[in-house]
Amino acid sequence: MSAPVSSPAATRSPIGSFTAETFAEHLASLGAVPAWWIARKRAAYDTFARLPLPSRTDEAWRFSTLQGVALEGFHIATPAETTAAERRIPDLPAALATPDLAFANNHLSARSNAARPAGVVVTTLAEAVGSHADLLKAHFMAQPQKLGSEKFAALHTAFVRDGAFVYVPRGVEVATPIVIHHLATGPASAIFPHTLVIAEENAKVTVIDLFYSDARLSLPGGAVSVPHFACGANDLYAGHGAQLTYVGAQAWSYETLSLQFNSTVVRRDARVQSLNLHLGGRQSRHESLSQLQAPGAFSEMLALTVADGTQEFDQRTLQIHQAPDTKSDLLYKNSLRDQAKTIFSGLIVVDPDAQRTDAYQSNRNLMLSEEAEANSLPGLEIQANDVRCTHGATSSRIDPEQEFYLQARGIRKDAADQLLTFGFFEEVLNRLVSDDLHAGLRSLIETQFEQ
Amino acid sequence: MSSLVIQDLHVAIGEKEIVKGLSLTINSGEVHAIMGPNGTGKSTLAKVIAGHPDYTVTGGDVLLDGASILEKEADERARAGIFLAFQYPSEIPGVSIANFLRAAQQARMAEGEELDASAYYKRLYAKMDMLKIDRKFTSRSVNEGFSGGEKKRCEILQMAMLEPKFALMDETDSGLDIDALRIVSEGVNTLKGPNLGVLMITHYQRLLNYIVPDFVHVMYDGRIVKSGDKSLALELESKGYDWVKKELVTA
Amino acid sequence: MPTTDTLSNELEPVTIENPVAGIDQTKGDFQYDVTYEFDAGTGLTEKTVDYISAVKKEAPWIREFRQNALKVFRAKPMPTHWATKDLENINFDKIRYYLASGQKPKRTWDEVPDDIKRTFERLGIPEQERKYLAGVEAQFDSEAAYSNIKDIVAKQGVIFVNSTEGLREHPEIFRKFFGKVIPTGDNKFSALNSAVFSGGSFIYVPPGVKVAQPLQAYFRINAENFGQFERTLIIADEGSEVTYMEGCTAPKFSTSTLHSAVVELVALKGAKIQYITVQNWANNVFNLVTKRGVAHEEAEIKWIDCNIGSRLTMKYPGVVLKGRKARGEVISIALANDGQHQDTGAKMIHAADETTSNIVAKSISVGQGRSTYRGVVHIPKHLKGCKNNTECDALLINTNSRTDTYPAITVRGDRNYVQHEASVSKVNEEMIFYMQQRGLTEGQAMSLAVNGFVNDLARQFPMEYSVELKRLIDLEMEGSVG
Repeated sequence: MSAPVSSPAATRSPIGSFTAETFAEHLASLGAVPAWWIARKRAAYDTFARLPLPSRTDEAWRFSTLQGVALEGFHIATPAETTAAERRIPDLPAALATPDLAFANNHLSARSNAARPAGVVVTTLAEAVGSHADLLKAHFMAQPQKLGSEKFAALHTAFVRDGAFVYVPRGVEVATPIVIHHLATGPASAIFPHTLVIAEENAKVTVIDLFYSDARLSLPGGAVSVPHFACGANDLYAGHGAQLTYVGAQAWSYETLSLQFNSTVVRRDARVQSLNLHLGGRQSRHESLSQLQAPGAFSEMLALTVADGTQEFDQRTLQIHQAPDTKSDLLYKNSLRDQAKTIFSGLIVVDPDAQRTDAYQSNRNLMLSEEAEANSLPGLEIQANDVRCTHGATSSRIDPEQEFYLQARGIRKDAADQLLTFGFFEEVLNRLVSDDLHAGLRSLIETQFEQ
Repeated sequence: MSSLVIQDLHVAIGEKEIVKGLSLTINSGEVHAIMGPNGTGKSTLAKVIAGHPDYTVTGGDVLLDGASILEKEADERARAGIFLAFQYPSEIPGVSIANFLRAAQQARMAEGEELDASAYYKRLYAKMDMLKIDRKFTSRSVNEGFSGGEKKRCEILQMAMLEPKFALMDETDSGLDIDALRIVSEGVNTLKGPNLGVLMITHYQRLLNYIVPDFVHVMYDGRIVKSGDKSLALELESKGYDWVKKELVTA
Repeated sequence: MPTTDTLSNELEPVTIENPVAGIDQTKGDFQYDVTYEFDAGTGLTEKTVDYISAVKKEAPWIREFRQNALKVFRAKPMPTHWATKDLENINFDKIRYYLASGQKPKRTWDEVPDDIKRTFERLGIPEQERKYLAGVEAQFDSEAAYSNIKDIVAKQGVIFVNSTEGLREHPEIFRKFFGKVIPTGDNKFSALNSAVFSGGSFIYVPPGVKVAQPLQAYFRINAENFGQFERTLIIADEGSEVTYMEGCTAPKFSTSTLHSAVVELVALKGAKIQYITVQNWANNVFNLVTKRGVAHEEAEIKWIDCNIGSRLTMKYPGVVLKGRKARGEVISIALANDGQHQDTGAKMIHAADETTSNIVAKSISVGQGRSTYRGVVHIPKHLKGCKNNTECDALLINTNSRTDTYPAITVRGDRNYVQHEASVSKVNEEMIFYMQQRGLTEGQAMSLAVNGFVNDLARQFPMEYSVELKRLIDLEMEGSVG
């Protein structure tokens, strides 16, 4: 039995920079917004302020560096801190380069006039609060926070100012991916990015979130970095028969504390594919919840992490099978260099009546240095017997036999290792249908490796 | 004209000695076959010449054109002209055959020199046609999900592309049906010539009907115990390895 | 994360309606009225601890050790932030902590009081001893009623006594290791055991001695509202080998019983310890056991752990791989029926280069039974050549059976290798149909299928134990279908 460890003297403030005054200023700055929105934000702030910071005995934060989750020293980022030059992210791969919506420091900075099929809505959250209040009430942060960050999700709701709102009506297919940029600039800035995607019955859409900060733009190699606090969320809803593809590519500065929450709701015969690429941040926590709510629902959850330096990536996932004949397939791959640390904690839950569930969960850690640390907590809670549920976790270095095979063809060891490392990522990238997107993400990873 | 000279080679894995004083000289243009029962060190010999890190050379030397290669890494030996066709080729997930061979070609070029992509693909497709390999294979991961025959053809394709001085073919016939065996052998026969020396390692005589050796050696307990021409292979086939063992005992 | 359970939270006495949980009915579910000369009463105070220590005529350091442990026990919260809330149903004030007819075990069965002797005869212990054991200790509630070791083994210098005797007569050997593998404060229940421990085996195997036959202990709870707290310490000196087996049963009472043992193993350089448990507690027993071994250079510790019965079992045998090339292994079988929660697993702490560990856990959940695998594999920094392989397979028999898997794996560096795999499945219906078509009943077919599921592990048990295991599975499966 493991001994409970007493929590370290909790001298840190549970609200940090996000005081009641800061919140009041935030509300005042919003201008004319509906009363229900203000009420939700107030309730969320109360929840945030009431809940304690995570402690040693929180199973949901096992292995996390809790000292790193500190809320002091930040301010709500404003557009004044960004320049027009910063807002244009240079050298992006083609698939990610042209945003439909771009946000810089919590404010809209650019939007495209791209033509879209009738009825498709791609707008800002700020506008949708007025124009699509019912959809927002039904889907915005509407799912339970089950992965440990109830406090921070409430903080997000309290301070979120703007974000992307994507609505695809029944039977409509959007051929071109919708690209959203979220940019953070300026030291100690706090940003609260949000993306809400609703794909109605038999709709089809691909949405890409790119998270970036100025330190990545102006400082090749990321040698000097700027601290940010990013507290973001995305809500994905796939109605009956819908097909939703979501890609989140995170390239915050190396000093960013990032907390990101995903909720995915999958209805009957719907299919959601999500792929999260994690590159940046000092400490990045990503929570992902997939709820398979009706027969035929399928959620494919993919992630790639390129961890180096002293970065910590903390990924918590939950696949809940709430109905029979549902399927989920999770593959999270991490490569670790230097003194990097990763945590993968995943749980498959099969509810009592969710017979014929097919659930898979796999965490693969590629250890590329002597001091990297990988933690895996792959979990199952199964309450139905006619199921196929498996999980696996491995942590290992590059396979020496594969390395020898490449060397036996004349390829130098370092080149061989790089080929094999990219081969390791390909298993995830290959799941993407779009070759452009595949190439785009690969190019982001290459940039990280070159640094 | 090149030579690969193995001099009184002793090889161990851990504490256990596997090759116990083996000598053999192969010149360009020659085809040698090493035959022998399982567990006599045939595959070890091929791997140790290619530089596999698990084996320790405890004595003797291996010379390529007069210079020892034992201090060289596996990739250096490969670039110097040693090619190992693996008995069990590794599966390399996520690395396509095209990318893999490009990397191997690139490694053979001087720093800063760029591979001519169109010439490379032209050559690659020609070799693939020769070996009856579907061009779609170039985008597949190396050996991943390949049948036994596909793996062996992929090995010969690499050999054709990399143009080694010496090819060590470790049980190339194992796991092949008769059609695959014919295709692979035709490939090797096409590549044979005055600039290539071949060392075939095989348990069965069957392969030697397709690739005719100039010399046949019988390996037993870490040594070559008998050498001859291709008729030795036929004699072995009819009399079995016990014949060699008995001869050894009486000697 | 929702790691808590859904078991009954009623106050004591808890009775669980369970038509098929009668695993002890045929064998372990009987009780004789025994008069105890020594009884520490009900509830746990400093006086209880002093009473136990005084009865045993212990050295002052042991009494202090116990009193300190009581403080630790009280200070520690229940581990319900990760473990089941069913733990809160243990009423420590209603438990009797020490019951004995005397402190000195008999060396022959003839000297053992009739009722107690009859108990062990019904359990088949004297017969097994004659057939294939090197020594036997039979514990009845708090103390061993019988303890004997075959002359041939004793002459090799092997010490096999109970903990009371061990601490009294061989302090020079045992004090060095006692409480070192599992410190008092390891967890709340190791602290409880450290305060009130009684019985259990103390074994020392001298360098190079290979004990050919197994040593066996049998733990029998006879009294109601009782807590059994045996303490076992096995030291295998350099190059020695020993196999230890333990069996456990108790009658079925309407109120809960507590069994909370501490088992420490020390395998010195090149030694091998194999520790086999077949636990078959009645389904009112809270079975909360801490088991851990330290394996020194090139030593090997293997836990073979079979858990059938009990209301709640929490047990995660561990190995600290302290010396280069040490090996650790846990083979675990758990069967949870209605009203039962088998929360079992393994811990592998790698602390030296080239250490290897292997965990194979198979569980079967029947009816509303719940089986949980909980594991820790830890390979800290700068080690090289360490390997762990873990496999967990769960079989769910009925539609509402439950299983959980909660491994935690930490690896540092690029020179180690870990692999964890788990799967959940049900019995293949085609296979059952096939067997029924050949004339087997559904119950028989199920039994065969379940035995097949655990067969590769059961074969690692000594013959007598694997036969027993098969019989128990057959009994369990009888009521599971239809």
